[in-house]
Amino acid sequence: MKCEILYPGAFPMVRVYLDANETVKAESGAMVAASPTIDIESKMEGGFLGALSRKMLSGEKFFFQTLRASRGAGEVLLAPTVPGEIVLLELDGVNEYMVQKDGFLAGAEGVKIESKMQSLTRGLLGGEGFFILKIGGTGQLVLNSFGAIHKIELKPNEEYIVDNSHLVAWTSTTTYNIEKASSGWIASLTSGEGLVCRFRGPGVVYIQSRNPGSFGNWIRQFIPVSE
Amino acid sequence: MALAPNALCFGDGLPGAGVPCGVELCVEGLRVGPMGPSSLEDQVVAFADMAVEAGGLDHDQLVVSWGSGSSARTVYVKDPALIVAFRRAAPPQLTAHLERAAEQVRRVRHSHRLVWGTVLGILIGLGLLLWFGTDLMVEWAVARIPIEWEQKLGETVHQDFLSKETVLKDGPAVSAVQEMTQRLTEKIPNNPYKFQISVVQSPVVNAFALPGGYVVVFTGLMTKAESGEEVAGVLSHELNHVLQRHGMERMVKMLGLAAVVGILLGDQQGLTGLAKQVGMELVTLKFGRAQETEADVTGIRLLSDARIAPDGMIRFFERLSEKDKERVELFSTHPMSAARAERLKAELAALPKRTPEPFTFQWKTIQDSLGASELKK
Repeated sequence: MKCEILYPGAFPMVRVYLDANETVKAESGAMVAASPTIDIESKMEGGFLGALSRKMLSGEKFFFQTLRASRGAGEVLLAPTVPGEIVLLELDGVNEYMVQKDGFLAGAEGVKIESKMQSLTRGLLGGEGFFILKIGGTGQLVLNSFGAIHKIELKPNEEYIVDNSHLVAWTSTTTYNIEKASSGWIASLTSGEGLVCRFRGPGVVYIQSRNPGSFGNWIRQFIPVSE
Repeated sequence: MALAPNALCFGDGLPGAGVPCGVELCVEGLRVGPMGPSSLEDQVVAFADMAVEAGGLDHDQLVVSWGSGSSARTVYVKDPALIVAFRRAAPPQLTAHLERAAEQVRRVRHSHRLVWGTVLGILIGLGLLLWFGTDLMVEWAVARIPIEWEQKLGETVHQDFLSKETVLKDGPAVSAVQEMTQRLTEKIPNNPYKFQISVVQSPVVNAFALPGGYVVVFTGLMTKAESGEEVAGVLSHELNHVLQRHGMERMVKMLGLAAVVGILLGDQQGLTGLAKQVGMELVTLKFGRAQETEADVTGIRLLSDARIAPDGMIRFFERLSEKDKERVELFSTHPMSAARAERLKAELAALPKRTPEPFTFQWKTIQDSLGASELKK
């Protein structure tokens, strides 16, 4: 499987080349177009219960679709729902990424996806919900973000503070704590930041340049109210 | 020797996401080898030169660091088998540190389990409290409401209802119902209620009871019933709704729910409005299924005590069950008539056999007085 990002920027698309009989897992509904040699199978990654728990708990789509080049090599075009950048990551079997529930776009056959329960504080306050996706295994992983995607590399014990709704993915070698943005609660709330995550290296944190929740609030004022 | 990658190495000059590397135990310590081309060199780190701790998002990874300045390196190992082997092989001065690290992992996991367990426990507890507790609380509250209050409440609703209906004041039908009521109420031990039965002109095949002892029988029930015993069965059922204070229980439940909603939403206007609505709802009251079954069972006992043939009640439900075919029991407040008839038969079998005494009236005459023959066409 080879991936190529087309139209990088706000409205990108991924072209995935598949050899004969190769497969790619994609978020359901992500396929834009495909060669006639490609078959679409709906597959419940991690079995029925795994898929059910992912749907009920992390809010991810119940099914991932599996696209198989069953009648010879071909290509698939994939695109995320929201406008924003796409990033390609290479998983080597040792690396593991925690991905917030909307961040997954596609992954090679060897990529393993599980739902992971966060601790109570992280779940309540972290802004990603109680369940996130834990993605490991081997092969290419395609993530998408809302807005531009920015990579932060942390050295051992290096710290960085991220507003909680801007998180896309982070490696499992990092740790993070939820904190108030300012020293007092009032200042935390009035600064518009509220709660932030203090990440500690080593590892990599991917963040998105826009906050989906804030965007939703902003756009709501332009939506006509119908009786 | 080529190792499979099982760890990530971090340090100056290495990529931020870490370099996959192979780590294995050797006599001196750990052998760390790069995987593929990278600036990480193959090396053996002696136990004496390394610092060890637990790390990673879930504190379940072994973090080994050595060197200083720009040559400082940190390795994150996730493979549980390797971690166990390392803990066995490491010298005691390191092991103490490691045990602390392992203890830390256990503590973090334990506290996570504890927190989730507590949250789950509280949720289940709340659910059980709501499920079982409300009935007990309602019974407790109803037991504290004086009968006089209940009678006043019932009277208001009763008057309100009758003002819109045609009430039969006298005639054979009213006398028949009065005879049934008298024979039934005589046999109620310690009856605190003064029962008042009204016969209302209406084709509805039904009867209902209000709190305080107000029972309404529709003429439709009397024209459809095949004997006085059938009507007496329904009457006995309704009287027992009153005796078991089912209407009050239901009202307390609804008011309680409204009060909780009112407290949560702070809607006081809605509260008074709801109280009125609940009052009116009593007229079209549908008792819960548990209450229905209770009234059925106590009703047939009362019939037996009053020496009224109890099979009239059973026959009535059997005939009702023929109309039940399309109903789904799960969604109805009244149990299915066929099931009710079965339950009543079982209950009847357990009761002592008593010779029934017939009523003084002829059922046919009563029905004729209501124009039943005309209605049946």
